[in-house]
Amino acid sequence: MSDKQKPGNHNTDAQGAGAGTMKPGFHNTDGQGVAGHGSMFQSTNLSPEEAVAATDWVRKHVDRRTIDLGERMDDVRDHMWELEKEGEIIVHRITDAHKPEIVQTLFGWDKKIPTTQLWHHKSCGQCGNIPGYPTSLMWFMNEFGYKPGVDYLDETDQTSCTAWNYHGSGIGNVESLAAVFLRNFHQAYVSGQRLGHDAGHFFPLVHCGTSYGNYKEIRKYLVESPELREKVKKILGKLGRLVDGKLVIPEEIIHYSEWVHVMRHRIANELQKIDVSNIRTTVHAACHYYKMVHEDAIYDPTVLGGNRTAPGTSIAQALGANVIDYSTWYDCCGFGFRHIISEREFTRSFTMDRKIKVVRQEANADVLLGIDTGCITTMDKNQWIGKSHGQDFSVPIMADVQFAALACGADPFKIVQLQWHASPCEEAVEKMGISWAESKKRFEEYLKEVEQGKIEYLYDPKLAVGG
Amino acid sequence: MATYAEMQQVFEDIKDDFRYDHELNGCLNCGICTATCPSAQFYDYSPREIVQLLWTENVEQIYDAMQEKIWACAQCMTCAARCPFKNSPGGLVAIMREVAIKHGMQSAKDVLRPFGRVMLKLITTGNQLSPDMIQPDHFPDWGPNIQKVEGNLKTLRKAIPVKTLQTTDTAWEVSLKTSVEMYTIWEMTGVLDSLELMDENLFDVIDDFIDEKREEYEDWLEEQEEDDDD
Repeated sequence: MSDKQKPGNHNTDAQGAGAGTMKPGFHNTDGQGVAGHGSMFQSTNLSPEEAVAATDWVRKHVDRRTIDLGERMDDVRDHMWELEKEGEIIVHRITDAHKPEIVQTLFGWDKKIPTTQLWHHKSCGQCGNIPGYPTSLMWFMNEFGYKPGVDYLDETDQTSCTAWNYHGSGIGNVESLAAVFLRNFHQAYVSGQRLGHDAGHFFPLVHCGTSYGNYKEIRKYLVESPELREKVKKILGKLGRLVDGKLVIPEEIIHYSEWVHVMRHRIANELQKIDVSNIRTTVHAACHYYKMVHEDAIYDPTVLGGNRTAPGTSIAQALGANVIDYSTWYDCCGFGFRHIISEREFTRSFTMDRKIKVVRQEANADVLLGIDTGCITTMDKNQWIGKSHGQDFSVPIMADVQFAALACGADPFKIVQLQWHASPCEEAVEKMGISWAESKKRFEEYLKEVEQGKIEYLYDPKLAVGG
Repeated sequence: MATYAEMQQVFEDIKDDFRYDHELNGCLNCGICTATCPSAQFYDYSPREIVQLLWTENVEQIYDAMQEKIWACAQCMTCAARCPFKNSPGGLVAIMREVAIKHGMQSAKDVLRPFGRVMLKLITTGNQLSPDMIQPDHFPDWGPNIQKVEGNLKTLRKAIPVKTLQTTDTAWEVSLKTSVEMYTIWEMTGVLDSLELMDENLFDVIDDFIDEKREEYEDWLEEQEEDDDD
């Protein structure tokens, strides 16, 4: 052995350390290199115990929730409290009356998730395309004994967040997005008053992943920029949407899947009727849930090792489903905002290549669950066309809350509204032991009653009229 | 062809956006953003390239990228979640798109054209899309099995047990007052001006629609007042 190859003195010259070392273009060609023990190898002669002690740091679990971020990452909520103290804004608080659950986000910050007194902030894609999503959510609230108009409210005085359009076409701007955010959330703040509740009674529960990401981003900009606040204050003032001359900003932005996440054990323990342990379940977490303002997304050490965002997977896990991982978990669905409308070849190719084909081939999935409108639409509707390129793969697509509702005995048509889905949801339903044919027959009978005006509601329709 | 001064102005407008300093903090050309980018797999588009052009203030290439490349971005923000510098290439693209519209670029007009129906729906109702837009005729590539129960759309929507969703021409029922409030937002934030610059015909249709709805709302308010007087 040469002097150059002593411990601590490896490969100190530009020539490398002899046979077995990696050289450009000749990686590991002699069967040694990094895969084996090269000529530089020397035993440490440590005892097994000493070896364990010496390499402890390698095994030490690095938990991002314990990282001290110092000044690298600001918590926008701290600044909100300061602004409120300075009389600039009113923070719509999550109080004890909202019965909050505390969860942890990416960096271990606490986030309060209200579990009751919720204002359903609907999603345009969801309501237009996958209505079983909001109906399943409200069905759960009813099953838990929530009283519509007291414990939740669904009303007409709200608009889309308009961010789908913004991300797709570029029409719109931070001011318009901020004004829409503040208008909708002001309505949430005052919505209970017409029913005899105090201001702030209902807290907004955002159904759409893009709305959620967009609102969080806009909230940050509003808190950071006095100029933006001043501009939108004029607009909100003109609309009569200020409270004591101030903007109302919510303490937290809450996605519906976060409500499902904190309610998952109650759902499983109190409501579950069907064993789903035989269901091979995959999950697609929405990009705009955890890639926008990522410090605010929920992570839980008991879900996927705390390495990936928890909502979606956590309810499947709590229900006892057989959760299966797959290699393209982090990939986008291919929605693309403008692409699903005008660059459809991209959308369908990406969703087939990176999602449907993978969960089918790798995971042999019985179902792929989503937590957002756009992803579910994209993955649900673009399977059939794959055949034209020899990609004959299909998998049932539905939202986490629809899957949970099925497991808790909700009707696949009347409540879960799977009739709007294009993917083979009937296969998942049948595997859960629910007769698709019988449910469909019952629903077709019900449609005749609907035509005669005999409609069943989850809440008194009069409650919906707001504004 | 734009002059250098015009291209310089485009770049200045991008830099003047207050989000610019949030979204661009440096770049080592590591390419993680492009490695994770869905659009980079299908288009001549690389978020790394966009960041580099802006970081090096290459005004001609920035202008060139705005002719087509920026519209390839899927806005998933995977790049932003991955970047070690906490850049948001997707966020930078959003700023560039806004500036492309402000300058009336042809690329923005081309992109907007297929968005006409969606834009009309959004601006006039506050809803992005509606059940009657998602019918099999409009999406033959979604296949023959687009939904599991045949039937009249109105009846099928009435069978949704939530009052606000029993609509066909909006995703949910939006009150007239709410839509009228939206019109004020569009006007005061310059969105209608942008639309006029992009597509005058579409703007005219929307403008007429807004006038009509406002009149309808005024009439409704008057009726309410009369009812209160009685």
